[in-house]
Amino acid sequence: MADRIILTCTLVLAGVYFWATAQIPTLELGDPLGPKAFPRMLGVGLLLGAAMLLAEIIRNSAKAKISAEKGDASTEPKWDKHHWLVVGIAVWTALYIGTFEVLGFIISTALYLLALTVAFNRNRWLMNVLTSVLFAVISYFMFTKLLGVNLPPGILPF
Amino acid sequence: METLTHILNGFAVCMEPMNLWYTFLGVLMGTIIGVLPGIGPSAGIALLIPITYGMNPTSALIMLCGIYYGAKYGGSTTAILIRTPGEAASVMTSIDGYEMARKGRAGAALAVSAIGSFIAGTIGVIGLTLFAVPLASMALKFGPAEYFTLMLFAMTAVSTLTGESPAKGVIATIFGLMIATIGIDLQSGQARYTMGIPEFQDGVGFVVVVVGLFAMAEVFRGLEDIYRGTSAEAMKITGKLWLTKEEWQRSIGPIWRGGIIGFVIGVLPGAGGTIASIMSYTTEKRMSKHPEEFGHGAIEGVAGPESANNSDTAGALVPLLTLGVPGGGATAVMLGAFIMYGVQPGPLLFQNRPDLVWGLINSMYVGNIMLVILNLPLIGLFVRLLYIPVGILYPLIVAISVIGAYAINGSTVDLWLILIFGLIGYVFSKLDIPVAPLVLSLVLGGIMEQSFRQAMTISGGELKIFYNSGITVTLLAMSVISVALPFVMPMLRKLGSKGDES
Repeated sequence: MADRIILTCTLVLAGVYFWATAQIPTLELGDPLGPKAFPRMLGVGLLLGAAMLLAEIIRNSAKAKISAEKGDASTEPKWDKHHWLVVGIAVWTALYIGTFEVLGFIISTALYLLALTVAFNRNRWLMNVLTSVLFAVISYFMFTKLLGVNLPPGILPF
Repeated sequence: METLTHILNGFAVCMEPMNLWYTFLGVLMGTIIGVLPGIGPSAGIALLIPITYGMNPTSALIMLCGIYYGAKYGGSTTAILIRTPGEAASVMTSIDGYEMARKGRAGAALAVSAIGSFIAGTIGVIGLTLFAVPLASMALKFGPAEYFTLMLFAMTAVSTLTGESPAKGVIATIFGLMIATIGIDLQSGQARYTMGIPEFQDGVGFVVVVVGLFAMAEVFRGLEDIYRGTSAEAMKITGKLWLTKEEWQRSIGPIWRGGIIGFVIGVLPGAGGTIASIMSYTTEKRMSKHPEEFGHGAIEGVAGPESANNSDTAGALVPLLTLGVPGGGATAVMLGAFIMYGVQPGPLLFQNRPDLVWGLINSMYVGNIMLVILNLPLIGLFVRLLYIPVGILYPLIVAISVIGAYAINGSTVDLWLILIFGLIGYVFSKLDIPVAPLVLSLVLGGIMEQSFRQAMTISGGELKIFYNSGITVTLLAMSVISVALPFVMPMLRKLGSKGDES
């Protein structure tokens, strides 16, 4: 099942890529190939990969039939509730990135870390609060003042 | 003679106090990165590139290289004490190493991996020193057509040898090449696939892709594991941190053999540290007088694989330095680092910057000595890292990744990219699609297209330039074989077994 999803996505990607390649305007000046030739080869390569995958799917389903007759349990990955956890973390990370320049590095990072550590390192409040705040403050000053890396100050004055 | 002068001069470069300091910093960070689960050498190197941007290239590369081979030392500690490889290639060490730790011989297991790593790591660097010059002078004759076919071979080998399914490897490779085509085409000045986002005109930076695929994806997996309650507790170090005479006698053979296997496998594209350590493990099991002990705490099962995966790093640097074509994920990240510092590895580098090349290679002798000290008498310090709650460690990795990604351009586009590639990496790992081929082809994509078009310009648009020389024909044949082999092998085996039955 999972392999069939990959196959579908691969074919869709190949289609989109071919379409996007066709959109590139060409002004062929002295370059015999132009900017489209290599991408077209890649599109063909991706279709080849899809064909290889199809061959593997057919071979594996033949194998799976044999093992199913023997009564082996299926090892197909299934969507379970833990995947919602990853979706949740991704949304929280997106919020962090979205507020990164507005709130500034220190505030957004401290808030981001605090929520995650509270969720995954339970019942150790002091440790979580200290790590989140100290990491945000110390790394901000270390990177901006010592290493010359620019981080957004945001609403804080420094 | 000239080469010898260059080599000796390289020692002078790597012994400069500045460079010694960066070697130390590199191997120290490498050990830490190796010990900590969740962040491997590829992500570690990628994260440091933006921060080291202003440094002189020799020192920066010495440090990044130190992270690469230092992580292999650290990885074994985690493998032995919590049975999770701290770094992918130490997966074989976790079998017998963990069993030894359970039997109260963690000290001996840690000692043999540190000593084995040191001996084999040094064998690897000697090999690198010996093979670099002949290979580099051979590669001087390479034209764009030879380079194109060489990169094709590296990619096909990596895509079919990493992971279970060659088809998924090929798809990942092409996906990486497609990402590489985003941005302004250097030959025609034409913008391609930028989707109207101005930041994409310079292309999608490989640093954000690597940080996303390796660091962010690992955070998602790690936090999911905490929630499932499958994260493991670290064992205490038990027993003396040294080997008995008998243990030493049993280990010395596997260390030598592992060192040689690792170097040879490392030079070849595609295989890498994991395959080197598996090969060493099976070799030792076959040669052993008591194969039944393997899997139940045989010291040979730690000594061999751990040595193999350390000399593999030096072997993997051979094609990177001499040809400018890496054969795996981590060396691809190294190539990206070279390019960002404006240094193009390859045969010309040996002529133009012998100080940099030999300073870098020789720093590995020094780094290996530092590592054996860090990982033997001082191992107790690093083991403490394993007691950091992972619920704190993983969120911090995200924050560090964000700093590293923002440091490149000061743009939140790069932050969105690490999140997107983190999710892609997470989904890929759930679907068993390997990410190493993607990183390799992303880094090589631009150079590959360029050499293809140069070759076509030279030949006036005729494809025959790719099968006109012996080198290109050989490389093309090897590429075809490496794609076909996984499909043909099972058929051959079937034929063979049928022959046995009849």
